[in-house]
Amino acid sequence: MPFIQDPGLVDEAKKAGWLTRLYRRRGLSGPVAAVLLLGFLLTPLLPGKFPTIVATEILIVGLFALSFNLIYGYMGQISFGHGAFFGLGAYATALLLRYFQMSAGEVSYFGFFLAILAALPVSAFGSLIVGFFCIRLTGIYFAMLSLAFGELLFYIVFSWYSFTKGDDGIQGLMPPPFFQNSTHYYYFTLAIVVMAALLLWRITESPFGYTLRMLRDNRNRAAFLGINARRVMLMNFVTAGIFAGLAGALWGPFQRSVSPALLGWAESGKAVFMTLIGGAYFLVGPMAGSIIYTGLNAYVTRYTVFWPLTIGLIILLIVLFVPGGLLSVIDQRISRRGTERESRERIPPEAAPGPENEA
Amino acid sequence: MPDFGSLLIQLFSGLSRAMMLFLLSSGLSLIFGVMNILNFAHATLWLVAAYLTYTFFQILSNFLANEALVLVAAIVLATGIMFFLGLAIERFLVRRMYPRELPEQLLLTFALILIFSDLIKLFWGVENRRIVLPIEPLEVLGSFVNPYFFVIIAAGCGIALGLWWFLHRTRYGKIVRAAVFSRDMVSALGIRIPVIYAGVFGLGVGLAALTAGIFLPIMPLSLGIDMDLIVQCFSVVVIGGFGSILGTFIASLIVGIVYSFSILFWPDGALAIIFIILVAVLILRPWGLFGTEMRF
Repeated sequence: MPFIQDPGLVDEAKKAGWLTRLYRRRGLSGPVAAVLLLGFLLTPLLPGKFPTIVATEILIVGLFALSFNLIYGYMGQISFGHGAFFGLGAYATALLLRYFQMSAGEVSYFGFFLAILAALPVSAFGSLIVGFFCIRLTGIYFAMLSLAFGELLFYIVFSWYSFTKGDDGIQGLMPPPFFQNSTHYYYFTLAIVVMAALLLWRITESPFGYTLRMLRDNRNRAAFLGINARRVMLMNFVTAGIFAGLAGALWGPFQRSVSPALLGWAESGKAVFMTLIGGAYFLVGPMAGSIIYTGLNAYVTRYTVFWPLTIGLIILLIVLFVPGGLLSVIDQRISRRGTERESRERIPPEAAPGPENEA
Repeated sequence: MPDFGSLLIQLFSGLSRAMMLFLLSSGLSLIFGVMNILNFAHATLWLVAAYLTYTFFQILSNFLANEALVLVAAIVLATGIMFFLGLAIERFLVRRMYPRELPEQLLLTFALILIFSDLIKLFWGVENRRIVLPIEPLEVLGSFVNPYFFVIIAAGCGIALGLWWFLHRTRYGKIVRAAVFSRDMVSALGIRIPVIYAGVFGLGVGLAALTAGIFLPIMPLSLGIDMDLIVQCFSVVVIGGFGSILGTFIASLIVGIVYSFSILFWPDGALAIIFIILVAVLILRPWGLFGTEMRF
């Protein structure tokens, strides 16, 4: 740290609050995550069930967006087929839940957790197959192949009526009685999402995570350093697919139904938007983006049917003027203020050079 | 096995669809070739043009009796407006995206899809629209065919020839092809690149608008058909190879005819077959049939 020799500033640093120390040690994601966690914990205190339900949705699609950002922000590729793994996880859970419901009449707690866990290998397998082909390409070709695979998976689910009930979707999914209460399910979701986010943090702040960043920034150089780009990219793709499947698993019991649209590119597009709004280069960026996107969606659709126009205009403005997302704006403001404060303290006002001091 | 009559109809339908895909994809391929921007919103702008042409047709029908004349006038008006809209979009939105990364460029055009789709919903509502021209069905080989198909195929070939002539025989077209090859050299020769880019984008959008107008008599308009179409256009451009008109032409034939015949056997999955072809091409030969070979 540059100013450590100046004793005055060391005292200043020691006086900084815990939030500032978290910022200095962990970057912007640290304090933002802390603030968000506090907000999420307190949400059910708001009146009515609507805030809790919206917050559950924010958490689930936020997890989906976090998984997408592994591919986009950390690996540098854009995938329009990521919704397919979300949908695969959702269907895996939904099919098992329906099986339990039909054979036993009610879902036991063991069955419920088993159904959620079942989503993980299914989405892992799906993303392994898709990823195997996608990682051989980059840029626009990666985007298009992922889109094509996503749509293919959508069509398989859509057409396989005997197994997935096609366009009708799977209705009437009920979690066990304790989780049918929206507040209980909300805290359950929050616990899972927090654990997943901690896992993601460990993954991205590991040598693996930094290898990903190198693949994003300069793939050739990574290859020269002996890194097997395809293996790392495939591992990352599958990891992202697993987390997306976990989010999908939570979605089914929440909405009490699943439909093939969850696998389509519209759903994938949502993850892209949320990541863009929040900021792709921050760990919690996609979650912040989810709060804004899902929250806006929940409240705007009460007043107007023209939600696509609204979100389209917002995306347009963000892409044009703030492509780093909301968190990048906050980050710039904070570092600017910090630098200004430090430089103001170093230079006494009388000796400051300026036009008025010139002889 | 469906009878010969319905096979013939599907063939014509496939050919006309192939023609539409070719005209639309040419614009897409041109824009990508010159400016390296993949215009996701190409089909949505096409739909805007179609609705616009429909409205002009309705208005002008009150003044002129000859439907063909009304249609031509409506097409000319709509194409002109869309050309200028294309210029405006390039000047104010797309131009800022040239120095940016690919994902941001894709997101810009994706946002345009959302905006224009909803604008269509705002101005024209959700009901389907169609225009009807009084044309007698023609009997060909035992089944009835709409003779307008021949008009479409002729018009499509005419436009394709016109595009080729423009790119290969006019000065402006040669500048455009040179800009695809080397933007910097063209700029160094004193030709203003921003003007070229704006022109190409406007040309692409105008071409889409022209296509929309020509196809209006045989195509009922509804919201959401642009999504189906843009995916097929991407498939065409990828299968044919970016930057190759011949590739686009062959790929349009493939996609158009495969799609039409799939509707006979597996209506819901016609698009899925196109996706399978797309996946196969991207895995085995990503640069398409006629594109320049690339290493990954």
